[in-house]
Amino acid sequence: MKISQLARAGFLVIAGLLLSALSMRAADSSPVVQLNTSKAGPRQIESLTERGILRDYRFAWTSLAQALEFNTVDPLDGPFVGDAKKWITDSVNSQKSSGLSTRHSDQNHKLEAVFYAPEGDVIELHDTAEYQLQLLDGSKTVYDAHVVMHYVVLMTPAADRWVIRQLQAVPQF
Amino acid sequence: MWSSTNTALANREPVGREFNGRVARVSKLRHSRPFVHVAALLCLLSVCAAQKIQAPTSVTAGEDATISTIGSGTATFYLFGPGVASKQDVRLGADIHLAAKDLQNAGAYTAVICGDPCRSTNIYVVASKTSGLTFLVHPSRVPVGQTDAVSGVAFPFDQFHNLVLAPVSVDFQLTAGASSLMSRAIHSENGVAWFRTASGKSAGPLQVVATVGALRAARAVQQVAFEPCNLRIKGQRTSKGIMVETEPVKDCAGNPLPDGTIVTFSASDANGKSTVDAPVKQGVARAQLEASDSMIVSAASGVVTGNELRIGARP
Amino acid sequence: MKFALPIILVAGTVALMVLAFFGVGVSASPVGVAHGSALPGLTSKAETPEQAVTNFLTDVQRRTWDRAFSSLGKASDVDEPTFIEDWTGTRGSLRSLSNLEQFDFRPLHASNDEAQMRVRLRWTTPVGPVEDVRDLRVAHEGDVWKVVWPKEPIPNVPAQVIPVTYLRWDLVTGGATDEWGSRNVDAPRVRITSMNASESAEGSVVMGEVVNEDTIPAFVNVNATLVDASGHPIDEESSFDKIDHVLLPKQVTPYRIDFPNTSLKNVKNVRMDVKATLVPASADPVIGVMDQKIDSDVQGKAVLHGKLLNQSGQTVNIPHVIASFYDNNGKVVWVSDGYVDRALLPQSTERFAVEIPRSLAGKIQNFHVVVNQYSLGQS
Repeated sequence: MKISQLARAGFLVIAGLLLSALSMRAADSSPVVQLNTSKAGPRQIESLTERGILRDYRFAWTSLAQALEFNTVDPLDGPFVGDAKKWITDSVNSQKSSGLSTRHSDQNHKLEAVFYAPEGDVIELHDTAEYQLQLLDGSKTVYDAHVVMHYVVLMTPAADRWVIRQLQAVPQF
Repeated sequence: MWSSTNTALANREPVGREFNGRVARVSKLRHSRPFVHVAALLCLLSVCAAQKIQAPTSVTAGEDATISTIGSGTATFYLFGPGVASKQDVRLGADIHLAAKDLQNAGAYTAVICGDPCRSTNIYVVASKTSGLTFLVHPSRVPVGQTDAVSGVAFPFDQFHNLVLAPVSVDFQLTAGASSLMSRAIHSENGVAWFRTASGKSAGPLQVVATVGALRAARAVQQVAFEPCNLRIKGQRTSKGIMVETEPVKDCAGNPLPDGTIVTFSASDANGKSTVDAPVKQGVARAQLEASDSMIVSAASGVVTGNELRIGARP
Repeated sequence: MKFALPIILVAGTVALMVLAFFGVGVSASPVGVAHGSALPGLTSKAETPEQAVTNFLTDVQRRTWDRAFSSLGKASDVDEPTFIEDWTGTRGSLRSLSNLEQFDFRPLHASNDEAQMRVRLRWTTPVGPVEDVRDLRVAHEGDVWKVVWPKEPIPNVPAQVIPVTYLRWDLVTGGATDEWGSRNVDAPRVRITSMNASESAEGSVVMGEVVNEDTIPAFVNVNATLVDASGHPIDEESSFDKIDHVLLPKQVTPYRIDFPNTSLKNVKNVRMDVKATLVPASADPVIGVMDQKIDSDVQGKAVLHGKLLNQSGQTVNIPHVIASFYDNNGKVVWVSDGYVDRALLPQSTERFAVEIPRSLAGKIQNFHVVVNQYSLGQS
């Protein structure tokens, strides 16, 4: 009786540890995003818009990371449109055909809004993004570095969210 | 600058000052113990190995580039970038040619050569010259005579749909018929040029054009009449009741309100109140109201009210 | 022993049938008020006016039209097809999509030969329950009582050709490969012109008016969020059908948003949100609202009644009346709505009535009625 109870308790402890490890991994993989709107103009960014952009940008980068890590274009359907979607889709397809993949982890994005159109139909953001970038050939890591990247981002409002239309890395702002 | 810590080199301790990647501590070697000589030699070898890859830091989109390698033997070359992920076997010591089609998309590219160990370098592709304009104009319909009512935003792109971040002069012009309402040259900042201006005084199409050199993007905005002004009605008895009609419905600038605009006619008499929402047709709204006694008739359109008519009882 | 279970089951079934037939009704009702609903069973001989009405309405409920028609008195001046149409509705009207769920009635007056019964009919419809009140005349013929069905006046509209010259707006959506910024049609500009939050018998209500300031039709919906003192939302609701959704240029509609079981005590702010989208529309049909008056109806309730006049050549299958009521400051104090269950034929009228809460009837100085309409096969 005691042995079975101990076994049951041990199983519960292991299951609990596994679950917490998984949730920690999930928490780790969720990008951290901050937005500074003090320089935005000519239109003032409304607080609801600010919250929407933070939410949707975080979701976009989560989707991008998933797409490039698992070589699937499905996550790109909602958060990306236009050229940004095309480029990432091309990356995914190229990776798939070559057996390569990319991993973005521990993402930290500092966004600065530099332009918000008078009618609120487009916003330009500068993203100083820090993340751990791993380039993989099958299971072999060919590149593993903590990088700081600068992105010029154009986002436009879609039916129920903000979407990324242009995501262009630059040497500096 | 793209700062990185390459974990493949993480264990290398810098020995003195780096000079073209080679450690210059020759003088210290003469006086060291034998195992230090070996260590220094090995160190030199590893530093030499670090020079396996050299590439331009910046390339214009759609141009070829070359990566030179030092060493011997074969290695695997990887190129990761926006829209690109490729892998090929290469010979060390020979140049690696990057085709223009692989460097069309502006952004950051990582080139990795894996012999033993892997070495990497970074290349930035920047946009080429402007060959297209994305031009957003709002609104598509604008009431006449409104301040800061029309705005336009232009983004210059190159032939590969890269955003041109270098300053570009964009000419904006607004014309209504034969008259020019605005002509302004704006230098783009962070890849965007914009303007905001008042709408004209006359209803009709407004042509909005953005020009960069020979490139031209044109949009049309429909200027429409503002609120009805001096809404006046007249009426007369008919066999069925009262036929009420407005005078031509216009705004304060004299622009006729478009057909389909709703005018609400109301009539009050002893039986109660009657209302009809009638659309403007050919500039005038009409409605038939039932009435047998004397009544007071009025009209309203949107939030604007018109005059009242007192119509006497049927004789 | 082996027959015990079947015997118990049969006995139980019979007992339940007897209970259903003779027992307490589906809903409790005041003494002296007869009621009924769709129950199986036979109808008794109509020896009293009440029984005659019960039998008649039960047949109507079951849609046994031959029985219902044959039970009418000699004085009924209607043929069977017309009689059936009166009950089932025609031309895609709301009645044609409804079922008689329940009825109750009470006598207004009775003599040896004739009686008058006030009948309250409860219909289930696609837009919710609708109540209808009508007075039925019952006559004594021989040893039974029979319902006398009146002849409904048929509008005498001469055959004619009515040209449709009103404006119509069509909507062309862009292609899937539209370049960003190359094609742009802005959503219509609409504005909320008034908002008033108040308590009601069922909870809280936010109401007011919204205008289409643009030159094209708009499909409009108004949402409201009740916010507490710390800025947290308490509840969010939409105007649902208490608004005329399709607004033509410069048209004004009232709206009412209900928050059931929510008090305004903890509400610090109301956040309004109006959404407008492009929609194809037509300026036809034009419907006049005539003889609008506030009165008491036969049940003593305060109502705004009048008649709708279809001034066009197109049938309006389901007219929907929405009325806003103003106090002497011009503030919207209530918004009522009601559906007319008969189709509004071209060049014809139909009566309507919308209820006003008794507590507000004394405050009302003015009112405005708009007519929303659903026509089959029209956008």
